[in-house]
Amino acid sequence: MFTFVRGIRILSTLGLAALITLGVAHAQGKEPIKIGWLSSLTGPLSSAAIAENKGVEFAVDEINKRGGILGRPVELLTRDTAGEPTKAVNFANQLIHSDKVHIIMGPVNSGESLATVGVIAKAGVPNLILGALEALTDPVKYPRAFRMIVTNGQWIKAANNYAIDVLKKQKIAIVGDTSGYGTASAKQATEMLDKRGIKPVISLIIDANKADLTDEFTKMKAAGTDVIMPWSAATSLLARMFNTRGEMQWDVPIVGHPALMALPVKPLLNKPEYWSNAFGAGYLTTTYDEQGKLPQRTTELMEKLRPALGGTIDFTFWWVQVGYDSVKVIEHAITKAGSTDPAAIEKAMSESNGLVGSYTTYSWGPTKRDAFPDAEVVMNVAGSFKEGSFRLATGSK
Amino acid sequence: MLTVIVYGLAIGAIYAATALVYNVMYSTSKVLSVTTGHIPMLGGVFGAYFIAGLGLPILVGLAGAIAVGVLFNLLTEIVAVRRVLARSDEHLWLLSTLAVATMISQVMALWWGTEPKPFPRLIPQEFAQGIGDQKYWLPVLAAAVCAGSLELFYRRTMYGKLFIATSEDAFAARARGINTDRVRALSYMLSGALGGLAGFAAGQLTFAFFALGFALTLNGFIAIAVGGLGSNLGAVIGGLALGMMSSFATYLFGGEYQQTVAIGILILVLVIKPEGLFGSKQVRPV
Amino acid sequence: MTDRSHILRPVALLAGVAFLVLLPFLVRDQYQLHLAQLIGVYWILIAGLNLVVGYSGQLSVGHVGLLAVGAYAFAILTGRYDVSPVLALGASGALGGLCGLVLGLPSLRLPGFYFAMVTLAFAVIINEQSVAQTELTGGGVGLPAQGFSAPFASPQGFYWLVLGISALVTWLTWNVAHKMWGRAIIAVRDSEVAARSVGISVYRAKLIVFVFSGVTAGIAGALFASLQTYITPDTFVFELGLFFFTCIIIGGRGSILGPFIGTVVLTALPEVVAPLAKLGNFFYGLLLLIVVLLIPEGFGRLLTQAMTRLKPQAAESKVVAPDPARLKAALGTRAGNG
Repeated sequence: MFTFVRGIRILSTLGLAALITLGVAHAQGKEPIKIGWLSSLTGPLSSAAIAENKGVEFAVDEINKRGGILGRPVELLTRDTAGEPTKAVNFANQLIHSDKVHIIMGPVNSGESLATVGVIAKAGVPNLILGALEALTDPVKYPRAFRMIVTNGQWIKAANNYAIDVLKKQKIAIVGDTSGYGTASAKQATEMLDKRGIKPVISLIIDANKADLTDEFTKMKAAGTDVIMPWSAATSLLARMFNTRGEMQWDVPIVGHPALMALPVKPLLNKPEYWSNAFGAGYLTTTYDEQGKLPQRTTELMEKLRPALGGTIDFTFWWVQVGYDSVKVIEHAITKAGSTDPAAIEKAMSESNGLVGSYTTYSWGPTKRDAFPDAEVVMNVAGSFKEGSFRLATGSK
Repeated sequence: MLTVIVYGLAIGAIYAATALVYNVMYSTSKVLSVTTGHIPMLGGVFGAYFIAGLGLPILVGLAGAIAVGVLFNLLTEIVAVRRVLARSDEHLWLLSTLAVATMISQVMALWWGTEPKPFPRLIPQEFAQGIGDQKYWLPVLAAAVCAGSLELFYRRTMYGKLFIATSEDAFAARARGINTDRVRALSYMLSGALGGLAGFAAGQLTFAFFALGFALTLNGFIAIAVGGLGSNLGAVIGGLALGMMSSFATYLFGGEYQQTVAIGILILVLVIKPEGLFGSKQVRPV
Repeated sequence: MTDRSHILRPVALLAGVAFLVLLPFLVRDQYQLHLAQLIGVYWILIAGLNLVVGYSGQLSVGHVGLLAVGAYAFAILTGRYDVSPVLALGASGALGGLCGLVLGLPSLRLPGFYFAMVTLAFAVIINEQSVAQTELTGGGVGLPAQGFSAPFASPQGFYWLVLGISALVTWLTWNVAHKMWGRAIIAVRDSEVAARSVGISVYRAKLIVFVFSGVTAGIAGALFASLQTYITPDTFVFELGLFFFTCIIIGGRGSILGPFIGTVVLTALPEVVAPLAKLGNFFYGLLLLIVVLLIPEGFGRLLTQAMTRLKPQAAESKVVAPDPARLKAALGTRAGNG
């Protein structure tokens, strides 16, 4: 008789539990959480977007395997913007009004992002910013836009500090290319140097496809340059700079944009040693120490993703990290907010401090929309590419 | 200062070669094809592909690049020019060649990639040569070969005379039994070969890059417009002049005004002497 | 039967107009309305360009430069100098027309290919300078552009503004095309020499049409900037100029409805067929080639041909025979007098 009562109790508890679970599931409706992903998978900057996409897709899979966010499955809606701002705006409108997504990541391309951030903000949809230009975040104009990556100014500051404080150079030559990014960055770099009381000895804007840079280098040498600081993402221009410097046998350090360390530069170099004496802005998490070891959170993710990435990692790894982290940040925000209400997400994000991700530790605030901490921007040595990461430059923290 | 001149000569030689290609195609078909600049682009890209990508010997790569130029231009002639010339509407060939140019440009962007890729070293030579480096002299050599061989071709060979006859008066040529269609196809093949050679020679200077196509179409056109359509000497002088002025302008004013200056030169010449420096006034009997 | 065809046309027109006016209420969501607004803005430019390319045969591939001029003018005037958007709209149109004049004056005398290259060069210069002149245009970072104030502030309101302006422009181009002016410029396109021989001032005709297209491009640029809310030099690339040009050729030169349909289809297509977005420009090139080789008249003509075939045609009698009664009367009179 005792066992019988116990059996009834167990059965009824189980039954009740089942009813509750069903009821909860029913109440939720299993309505998916829709994440819009604006990515320039073709066109310029596609290599970054493709790598980020790998991180994004992996994170979404991982989350869905564990039951989704708040019990709801995550649905990823990817739109290829092909590097065109008009397309980016069209797709942003589509994601917001037709697909009714709860949050939008990207675009990856700064030029496209400039066009979409206002549109997305007007609709009140939360937006994770993946471009570096300063103008992309503004706590007043775009209260629901939160930046995941470093800002252009942080790159420039790190490079300037290294050139001036560590390498002890004062006669700086600034080089930009004729693209929108190049001209804007060259200008910004000049302004930031000005704040430190330094005026560049020469400032040049060069067409990224100019086949020969001997004149420009002669000019720089004549002006007494002792460090060249390029702010261009054009690998052909950067490679030609290394070649010209090597051919002139002028051992001036080149310090600047991360692209100067990027793998596409290597085949364009006439001699591998031309890559020496060059330092680009990089990140703590993708920098290996003297023993060749990377931070644990980087290797953790690398090993998790290695099969999906095809075994070898021959592209910049921080792109994958930031893609992965973006989705994880969304998971954190929605879980913390308890819903997909945009205002609640905004509140949750602006209260997120010290969020440890793979790429960096994210901190936003009520009036702070840029998450990347200054301290984690370091200088890397060009030519030390290994598994998507670089060696720390001597003298950089 | 010397490097400004040498660089100007080198880039001018590429423009000159492109202008020659325009000329040869124009002479037999009266068509100025938008695809013209894409021929050197293909020469450079495929040269890099054959030698660096497939590991073939340099001379095979050269032959391959020339062959690609020939094939592409012949294809252009068959698809975009031949059928269109039969109709009276003279704008149609502009549209059809523009269409073909767009398609080849996009295909290259998708297949070869949008980033410039390296072009292999052709002659063993140390890199720190300054102005003696082969990347400056190869394009000039190629342009000279193109111009010289064209002159020899026109003056000494039978087919050269056929080309001239067709260009001067197509009807009369046909009346004399010349198969103008075949002559036109041959001229496109010849100019394709010249373009492919020029692009191959220029590869080390420009890198193998898909966007070179439209840039050369525009600049090669400026060269021939300035030099005078129909004149090979004008093509060479126009190209070299454009290259030099471009180089000096960049040196003096900076890279932001490069295209503006080049186009300014074009407008100036067209306003003062529309037929170009060495061109003849186009008179059409009505 | 003729009665029916007489009624059919205005009825179709009325239905079309009603559909366009009521569109904001018929679409599913704001995204489709945004697309409709974009099509409308493009059409304002293309309608003007249609006169240049489709009717007078001047192959301008660089009109994207004029679009950029209008867009930047609007953004700078409303942003930096606090000019009212409506006034800035007018100013953008005027500036577009002025640029059209400056561009057209030297180049319209040139033969076809030269002219096309010069317009291409113009677009290249505008692009280069919009990056270089950072103080004016914001350089690579670009400029924000304001929206219009009420009643055009809401999406529906803005749509009706665009609709109104495009209707006006369409009506103007229709007038030009169907009146004597239109005949004149078509004559210029088909045979300049013949046109000149009947006394048409070829150069003046081309120039006026070109300046008009500059004005419409400037206005389209201003509306485009307002619609996008932010403009950068990246937006105004050569491919966009090629797109405008392709819409007209595919739609059919010498027609207004054709290019309009072309614009609608080519704008909406990449949105509908996602893989197409990647191959976009290749697809435009291929379409252009197919049209030129197989249907040089464009799809628009196909449409009108189909319509004429559907309309029942009374067989016209083409027999030439004397009219006995009149002949007798005429001869009789003479005989009577003689």
